Amino acid sequence: MKHVLIGTALAATAVTGATAQEVTLGRFFGACEDAGTDTTASVGEACIIQSIINAADAELDGITVTTLPTDWGNYYDQVIAAYAGGEPPDVHVMHRHRVPQFAGLGALAELSGDLEAAGIDVSDWAPAALDAVSFEGGIYGVPMDFHANLWHVNMEIMEAAGLVAEDGSPILPSSPEELLEHAAMVEAATGHDYLAADFAQFPIGVRLVLSLMWQQGENIFTEDGTATIDTEAARNAVTTITQLFDAGHADPQLNYADSQQAFLNGEAAVLVNGTWVVDFYSAEAANPDVALSDYYVADFPTLFAEGATWADSHMWAIPASLKRDDPETYAAALQVLAFINAHNIDWARTGHMAVRNSVLASEAYAALPHRDEYTGTASIARDTPAAENYGAIQDVLNRELQAIWLTGKPVGDALSDAELEVQDLLDG
Amino acid sequence: MNRGYYWLITALSIPAFLWLIPTLWMISLSFQPNEVLARTTSTTAFGLVPIPFTAENYAALFSFGQTPMWFLNSAIVALGMTLGVLAVSTTAGYALARLEFPFKRAILVLCLVGLMVPEQAVFIPLYTMFADLGWHNSYHALILPRMAVPIGVFLMMQFFKSIPKDIEEAARIDGVGWLQIFWHIMLPLARPAMMTLAILTFLYAWNDYLWPLVSAREPERFTITLGLASIQSNFAQSEGLGRVMASGVIASLPVVILFLMFQRHVVRAMTAGGTKG
Amino acid sequence: MAKGRHRARGLTEGQAAAVLLLPFLAVYAAFLVYPFLNGVWISLHDWNLLAVAFNPDAREFIGAENYIRTLWGRNIEWGLFASPVMQTGGVLGIGLAFFGYRSGRLTRATALALGIAGALFFLMPGFHPGEGGRWYDRRFWPTVGNTITFVALAVPGVTLTALILAAALDGETRAKAVLRTVFFLSQVLSVTVVTLIWQIMFSPRQGLIANVAQALGGSPIVWLTDQQLAMAAIVITTIWWSLGIAMILFLAGIQDISKDIYEAAAIDNARGIRAFWYITLPNLKRTITLVVVLQIILHFQVFGQAHLMTQGGPNDSTQVLVRYIYQTAFRDSELGKASAMAVVLFLIMGAFSLVQFILGREGDER
Repeated sequence: MKHVLIGTALAATAVTGATAQEVTLGRFFGACEDAGTDTTASVGEACIIQSIINAADAELDGITVTTLPTDWGNYYDQVIAAYAGGEPPDVHVMHRHRVPQFAGLGALAELSGDLEAAGIDVSDWAPAALDAVSFEGGIYGVPMDFHANLWHVNMEIMEAAGLVAEDGSPILPSSPEELLEHAAMVEAATGHDYLAADFAQFPIGVRLVLSLMWQQGENIFTEDGTATIDTEAARNAVTTITQLFDAGHADPQLNYADSQQAFLNGEAAVLVNGTWVVDFYSAEAANPDVALSDYYVADFPTLFAEGATWADSHMWAIPASLKRDDPETYAAALQVLAFINAHNIDWARTGHMAVRNSVLASEAYAALPHRDEYTGTASIARDTPAAENYGAIQDVLNRELQAIWLTGKPVGDALSDAELEVQDLLDG
Repeated sequence: MNRGYYWLITALSIPAFLWLIPTLWMISLSFQPNEVLARTTSTTAFGLVPIPFTAENYAALFSFGQTPMWFLNSAIVALGMTLGVLAVSTTAGYALARLEFPFKRAILVLCLVGLMVPEQAVFIPLYTMFADLGWHNSYHALILPRMAVPIGVFLMMQFFKSIPKDIEEAARIDGVGWLQIFWHIMLPLARPAMMTLAILTFLYAWNDYLWPLVSAREPERFTITLGLASIQSNFAQSEGLGRVMASGVIASLPVVILFLMFQRHVVRAMTAGGTKG
Repeated sequence: MAKGRHRARGLTEGQAAAVLLLPFLAVYAAFLVYPFLNGVWISLHDWNLLAVAFNPDAREFIGAENYIRTLWGRNIEWGLFASPVMQTGGVLGIGLAFFGYRSGRLTRATALALGIAGALFFLMPGFHPGEGGRWYDRRFWPTVGNTITFVALAVPGVTLTALILAAALDGETRAKAVLRTVFFLSQVLSVTVVTLIWQIMFSPRQGLIANVAQALGGSPIVWLTDQQLAMAAIVITTIWWSLGIAMILFLAGIQDISKDIYEAAAIDNARGIRAFWYITLPNLKRTITLVVVLQIILHFQVFGQAHLMTQGGPNDSTQVLVRYIYQTAFRDSELGKASAMAVVLFLIMGAFSLVQFILGREGDER
């Protein structure tokens, strides 16, 4: 009752921050109204995370968790504005690739000294997970997942094209040439496109090209900050994809929703998309009204020398100001993070890969739908390069790549333009 | 009515129907199941007829406890902003239109210049200013910055200029003070123009997005536009198109109703002054 | 102080004006003028939004550096034929202004405005990076170009459609009232809703336009990812959305025109389109100027349509200034540069509005 009174009084006078044990939480993933508190029954990113948060709110004594609604498209803008205004949420989710930007400025609390007391066992984190939240020797967050690009496969189409191995797994290409051959086989057998992906909206095309560059042992910029985009490797990566467009085996005009719809309608053999849709597509494939019926999840195939696929991590962070100014709320916020950390297996139900060794080794994890089909992804997952303004760099790449396949800009021009602009961004 | 009139109405009905189609489509989609829309939006009559039908999308939105509160917030903010804008615009508009005082031209120019300041140019200074004052998360934080928009002043000034001077002069001769003239004579005359301004401001306030997005941090202070936007997930279009459309319909409904109720005033407003002369 | 003496008449005119103006000027100064000047001050600094939030000393005064980094480049040269179309247009503008003034068809102010505009069109596009040179910000000027293109399409689009509809729908009949409502209705929707509808309308797979086209045997047009059509799609959306207020301003203007004039004209057999051309249009000059200036100001600040429908793409073809400012400030935290760009946008808008005002006044005087 007391909290309610204090809360009301504070809300009424519009003063924020110092509420005793109220933890405000900022996140993307979208909202889920009826998530409930059952963390094992919810479906989809939004509802699973919200059920975990609701459960934390219900089960943690003396702590109320308030989810601040945010807008996905403007999430980071909103968080940055909140930091700049001195009122960031007490806990917020972020991507690993943003750590250099936020931690580099001292925005995030360094947590290494307090995690154990809160009941978070750092030694249980997979090494890559620890790496994801580390910055210059400190720990700046609690990792929640790895997410990576996968190949979502329609086995019916693969079957028709004779691209299924004896063990029932799809036969995927091992070189750009083979990719084109497979695409032609699918076309000949079914008349459908081989590959669909969002090439026109979100930077999924960028992540595809990045993966293909990494597979050749190259990157878009070096450690010392030199852009290396106008290169042979980048050209190879780009033409691997454009050859499909040129031969009519893929459609560059599809955006996220369109490409997904094409895949669910059984109009494409393969959809390149992330781990986050595995549970959604499994559910759809089980629906008799959906054309897709035989769904398989495959690791991103190796088309060049070494395996690699784009990956990132979601993690939870606490503002440095909270640790400094408000130890009580800071302790409560850590409790919330510990709760989320303890429910790592529930979050993994989305299709994301877990971060805790104990979860990764558990039977419950192995029993998740399709999980055994993409076990190889963990070892080929590559991170986006660390850079303070990676957001801007990714936008440059997305723009120039879209210029290639949507507006016919010559590959050389686009890559040299991209290199110039990325260099500008790296130079600050 | 002559033949030309009917011809005109018929000819205009076609573009009018086309004009309505996007809205009708949105409404129709909002009544179709999400699973179906994930596959195709064109089930019956290009999706313009909601078959298969479901009210599930609306039920889901209203099962979310905060929707009524967001409506209430929107109403408070929109009404507050409307009253505020009316108050400052009528007074300033009248002074600029009818009174003589030093620096009048300078003030006029200053207001005009203010029209050209892009929202994004004042956004961050305003944001940090409100943060310093600890004002975020409040109704006044959502209302005050929008009262500084000079467009209302211009509309009211334009209107007061069109009222014939003799009414005022007669009152002056009778020894009525300027403020009394404003309050007892001019304001009643200005009612239609105020109505227009009120409706335009209300529309603007209701649909305001960027500022509430960063200023209202607690769900208790969210407006409906913001709240509904916040429950659209990143890839909402692909997974919950029907519900997104339903949220669009719900957010728009009050302003549409309001407009339909008051639409006669919108047009009549600016003309009343002119035709009195 | 002078209360007693002026009791009968209350305040003096000046005092009354002060009382009446004070509320507006107070909010105006506090929430617009001050923040704007603050923004100008920020634009003179190297100011990282996040860094300064944590350490107020992290900003550095760099004078006009942000403006140089935005507007200028290395080895920028000026050439006569760098952009022949625009430069020729500029020369024509100057010529028109000169001969217009000499022949007495244009007033001095108009001729001057036209001449300066022409000179700018002649001079500005002539700048280009020379040998080994480059713009410091390669995206800024193309973005300005896109914004002007948008304004150049949306303003006449909205104005003409609204004018024609207003002329056709002026009248007291029920059918006309219904039609007016229909055309105004979309104006009440918020930008999020409008972009949501149209994004899906234009979709090549889910879109109504594509579905209808396919049913008629055509192939779906890809709107939002086509370099030419993306801008058109945004303009169409904008016209659909923001026609209402312009239409209503025109309706008000038309109703202000005395009915006697129309009746007199009807005797001379000037009805319908002729009446529109010879009576409505000339009498609406002030309203047209008002609408056009408001539209210029409004559409230069276009943001939501480009941000939500096309994300500025493809290939930056719908990247507009306000979106660029927004990205620079929030995505990149470069507040100083973002503020400089906002000031430039303010100046561009001011210039366009000023020219329009002077041209509009011309009509008034004659």
